[in-house]
Amino acid sequence: MASGRISPVTGHYVTIDVEDAEYKVFYLENGQGQPLVCQHTAGCHNHQWRGLLEDEQITGRYRVIAYDLARHGKSDPPLNQEWWKHEYRLTADHFTAFVVAFCDALELENPIFMGSSFGGNVALQLALRHPDRFKAVIPVEGADYSPGFYLDWWQHPHANAAQVCASGVWDLMAPQSPDHDRWATWFYYTQGSEAFKGDLYFYSVDHDLRHHLSEIDGERCPVIMLTGEYDYLTTPEDGRRTANAIPGAEFIEMKKIGHFPMSENYPRFAQYLNLALHHIHERTDT
Amino acid sequence: MTSPTTSDAVGEFRRLSNGDPELQAHGKYYSCSFLLDMEHHRFLVRMHKGTVEELVTDPEPLSSYDFAIRADAETWHGFCQEVPSPMCHGIWAATFRRGMRLEGDLLVLMQNLRCVTRQLELLRITGPLGGAGRDTARRDARR
Repeated sequence: MASGRISPVTGHYVTIDVEDAEYKVFYLENGQGQPLVCQHTAGCHNHQWRGLLEDEQITGRYRVIAYDLARHGKSDPPLNQEWWKHEYRLTADHFTAFVVAFCDALELENPIFMGSSFGGNVALQLALRHPDRFKAVIPVEGADYSPGFYLDWWQHPHANAAQVCASGVWDLMAPQSPDHDRWATWFYYTQGSEAFKGDLYFYSVDHDLRHHLSEIDGERCPVIMLTGEYDYLTTPEDGRRTANAIPGAEFIEMKKIGHFPMSENYPRFAQYLNLALHHIHERTDT
Repeated sequence: MTSPTTSDAVGEFRRLSNGDPELQAHGKYYSCSFLLDMEHHRFLVRMHKGTVEELVTDPEPLSSYDFAIRADAETWHGFCQEVPSPMCHGIWAATFRRGMRLEGDLLVLMQNLRCVTRQLELLRITGPLGGAGRDTARRDARR
């Protein structure tokens, strides 16, 4: 019998088809009950959800599933394409198709989808395009539009891309967040520079819902938005404006936290997440 | 009582920079020069292999450097707090939201981003370079 402290979190692979791409997707999961599907931020991977995956207060009621988007972490680029011959630029069409294909492959019924940053933006896209596939969405650090971060610096061959990506997002975290967690997040960002810029094509270019927010039905698919006060890309003002334009949506501002709340300071984020989950429970289960 | 001078915080910034474990661990190739324009005063920092080689207050008009970080005094004041307020808490945040300007050869900034980011966070200890160092001010306040 193993004597080490073995986590209840388990890892799996599932192979899915998304548009014309075949992906072998890695995901971590723990818990039982209502599926809660979690998307990491651009250029990163599912370890950002490490605190949530081992939070017994949540996993006692929710089946938490945190996947690596293709080209991130342990999810490779497409198996059936010569992907190295093309510049990677993620689109809203492909991103939403990926999430739905993943949920279908795992036969998840009425999952709640939660994503941060570009994951928050795709949560809004899912609420618009697939309101009946998801019980609710929790866009974290999301907004209708988030320009300005599709930059050549993330992949400039004359600079250390790993450090530029990692230190370039350092300010997105709050100074109050614990050093150890901020540096873990920094470390994750040293690992994703080849995907970061292409992810940000979706984040800052292809994602633009400024004229479509009223088409999202926040009663049919509840939208609970969470934004940290230290997020300079999608500020609380941006989140509030976005939620106000979506019928039935709610907005919660998170104090003393930034753009990577689940990874930079999970205990603080958990307070707000529990509030969001409580609101969803009240609106959908009673 | 020591009267506040520009040199107090500047000296403290130099001392903290040269004794910082992170800069010592990762600054082997940290060699560049940059200007911190804090509106009322400007500070030219010349780094060599992770050490402050020269730190000039209000350099001559034609002094050269690789890149400049410019903002108004109010933004720098927020930046230099022990716990800076949102949007003043870093050069990226302040550039996106507070009108800070990154100018010059930004490739050099990106090549040294890890060390520059760390070094500028030492301003949270010294306070704004235009006045007495925070530790000096505290000492004076106790007298």
